[in-house]
Amino acid sequence: MESQDARSGDADDDAMNSVVSTLDTDLMAEDTRAVPATMDAFLSHVERRAFRLAELNLGNREDALDAVQDAMLRLVKHYRDKSAEEWSPLFWGILRRRIVDLQRRRKVRSIMVGWLGGGRDDDGDELPSWDPADAGPGPLDRLQDAQSYADMAAAVKKLPQRQREAFMLRVLEGLDVAETAQAMGCSEGSVKTHLSRAMQHLRDQLEAWR
Amino acid sequence: MNAPKQSVDNRTFERRARALYREAAQHIEPAMAGRLRAARRTALEALAKPARPHGARMLLPSGALAAIALALLLAWSPLQNRSSETLQAQMSVAGVIDTADGELPPDPDSADPGMVQNLDFYGWLATNNTNNASQANR
Repeated sequence: MESQDARSGDADDDAMNSVVSTLDTDLMAEDTRAVPATMDAFLSHVERRAFRLAELNLGNREDALDAVQDAMLRLVKHYRDKSAEEWSPLFWGILRRRIVDLQRRRKVRSIMVGWLGGGRDDDGDELPSWDPADAGPGPLDRLQDAQSYADMAAAVKKLPQRQREAFMLRVLEGLDVAETAQAMGCSEGSVKTHLSRAMQHLRDQLEAWR
Repeated sequence: MNAPKQSVDNRTFERRARALYREAAQHIEPAMAGRLRAARRTALEALAKPARPHGARMLLPSGALAAIALALLLAWSPLQNRSSETLQAQMSVAGVIDTADGELPPDPDSADPGMVQNLDFYGWLATNNTNNASQANR
């Protein structure tokens, strides 16, 4: 019995290593990873993707814009003297922390609103939520694959925080394992574990994609 | 056995997810794209300003600490002087009250300093007076 478990565990590990190595080669090859030489070019290169990534995490476009703006400012202020190769993991790391900060702040606000008025005004009507869902219309609605993106976004939002971060940075953004680990502030082994679990969850949730 | 198939599935899945993400990033409404550009320009303005050296960043808190320390020192010193003066005044008043009672010997501190300085003279006078009185009695 134990040997069977061990064998299935080995198979899982093999599958995971296979996924990770595939990602290492394929995604790296797919992405030319040309490093912009100037800070302006770098920020211009990442700003829209950073916005979408923040939006996927926060579910609100104004908050997403705030997070991206703050990440840009911090990168320029504190890391302008670093080499251009280091900007990418630094920027995504800053953005990740900013997103986590905003999520924590929201949670505190929700708790405060709950304490103060139970989320209802004097007339018993519900107060506006501190966790706003921004479903504002945008050109994305005109995308051919808008529904697919919406499905993916919904599935990604359901992932636990660390798995979501690993998936976004490693798969969507295409950072390598070391860069993802640097941006997430954890070991490379943790990145691989989080990513493997994230992929498993997403595959289960997006059956129609297979 | 299933690992290679799963690997291919994963690859397809990842490619699709990434393509959607990239496409979504390209399709941002013009107003939001404009705000992102403005945010970038604002951030880049910091490049024009010279980076403040680490020492300069420490200057303000150090200065504030020094000012607080000085203020505390100034506030503490007069208090000390005043409290010692108050103590002395209280002691002398207590001495005056004690002598006013008349029961206790006078406090040497509250006595006339001129008298203290001429103690020899008063001693001689007292001795002399005693001698004169005994001679007169004879």
